[in-house]
Amino acid sequence: MLTLIKREIRDHVVYFFAAVIFSSILISISLTPIFESRRHYRLLSGLGTVITITAIVIFGFFAMGVGQMYTDKNRKISAFLSTLPVSRSRILIARIVTGTLAILTLIVPQVIVTIILLRLYAPPVPVYSGFIAEVFAGIFLTAFACYCIGLQAGWSSSSIVPAMGGFGLTCILVSLILIKGFGLHIIVILILFIIASLIRIRHLFTSTPL
Amino acid sequence: MDENVIKVENLVKYFDGRCVLDGINFDVPQGCIYGLLGRNGAGKTTIIRILLGLEPATRGETSLLGRKSTRLPAKIRGQIGCVAEGHNLIQNYKVSRLIKLCKDLSRQWNGESFDHLMETFRLPRDRRVRDLSMGMRAQLNLALAMAIDPELLILDDPTLGLDTVARRQFLELAIDIIQQQGRTILFCSHILSDVERIAERIGILAAGKLVVDCSLEELKTRVKKLRIIFPESPPDDLYLTEIINRQIQGREMAITVANWNRQKQAILETFKPSSCTEVPMSLEDIFIECTRPDSEPIEAA
Repeated sequence: MLTLIKREIRDHVVYFFAAVIFSSILISISLTPIFESRRHYRLLSGLGTVITITAIVIFGFFAMGVGQMYTDKNRKISAFLSTLPVSRSRILIARIVTGTLAILTLIVPQVIVTIILLRLYAPPVPVYSGFIAEVFAGIFLTAFACYCIGLQAGWSSSSIVPAMGGFGLTCILVSLILIKGFGLHIIVILILFIIASLIRIRHLFTSTPL
Repeated sequence: MDENVIKVENLVKYFDGRCVLDGINFDVPQGCIYGLLGRNGAGKTTIIRILLGLEPATRGETSLLGRKSTRLPAKIRGQIGCVAEGHNLIQNYKVSRLIKLCKDLSRQWNGESFDHLMETFRLPRDRRVRDLSMGMRAQLNLALAMAIDPELLILDDPTLGLDTVARRQFLELAIDIIQQQGRTILFCSHILSDVERIAERIGILAAGKLVVDCSLEELKTRVKKLRIIFPESPPDDLYLTEIINRQIQGREMAITVANWNRQKQAILETFKPSSCTEVPMSLEDIFIECTRPDSEPIEAA
């Protein structure tokens, strides 16, 4: 399994680099207001940028899912790996683990920086204690859901309709979160969506001729 | 474990409503080298893909090393070496990286044998797979398949696209390896001379059916081509069974018949032919006769 994960990471290392770059950009945006005057105004302005970048990043994970599956199909990687002592389920699990690691590469530094900033610059108003957990769990699940849609779209990329459908679904998902905001109800919806997506991907991946 | 390493039972496969395999049955016992022949598009690769679990069957069952193809566990996969048609190696990888990947994923790796093959084939490790010639890719694929000391070796048109020299070199090395280690081998090809050199048992696919399934020697003795000249025009029906092919030209009739025996000879003599001579047949001749659109399957003797 470790070999398969290493192979996936090495083949898609560009997404990890992108995650690190975006993570650095987001951290610098979060830190900028601290060193500037008119803190609150800047904070609000920065928030808009963060939302924009988050949306870009989420579409990035959709692209990662598409990229992983499309590359596999195009280069017949699974067809080759299936002639070795590897099952298709393990190839898929390794792929999903890699996707999860890429998402965590982006999110974990944000969580750490946010916790440190909140400790150092606690806001004058009381903040709900599960706020950070809910927001970041929501971001993680959204990114993962988009990644799952990407995996499905990439595997059925022989026609443009599933790919565009996947892209449309990602837009709907992101819009839903932007309108409703993060919270427990969104987390539950996302978890259900992810479970359904994973079952569908597993079925697609293990039943399609390689 | 069942002594049949490969089992194919009533295999049926449809592609977009078109029947490609129509009730294929054959077994390959342990230690046998089975040559599966057929014209382009006859379904040889489809059988192999179904056997390896890469393609689902429409109906029927296949198993490798005693396990169903649809549920081959990693342990069993680790005992199967495969050289696929077109050598579907990961093209953008460097040879060294591909070797490492295969080595890390394999359950056993005979490094000594692999290095020996790499040296014999003079394969560069620092080039990308896509930069290798077709012959080099075939050799790399064979070396990788052999490195796991497989119990079963599946070779799907391994010499496809190779020039004559590379093909000869590939086959000689394959024969060496086969003779040294006595493995079960399924060898698919439409190059008959290759199969004739290697295979002990032959299967011929035509129009989705396995029209021949017997040993090479048996095939050569069982299938006869006769040139019969009649005093007048040939009869419409010779009342002979298992005529694979029949051609009439004037007073002359050429028949290819399976399981030729004294009984059939006696029936033929009742028509009082002027002469009846046997035409020697090579495997290629037998193959051409068996794969004609109007040919009949050869039943067991």
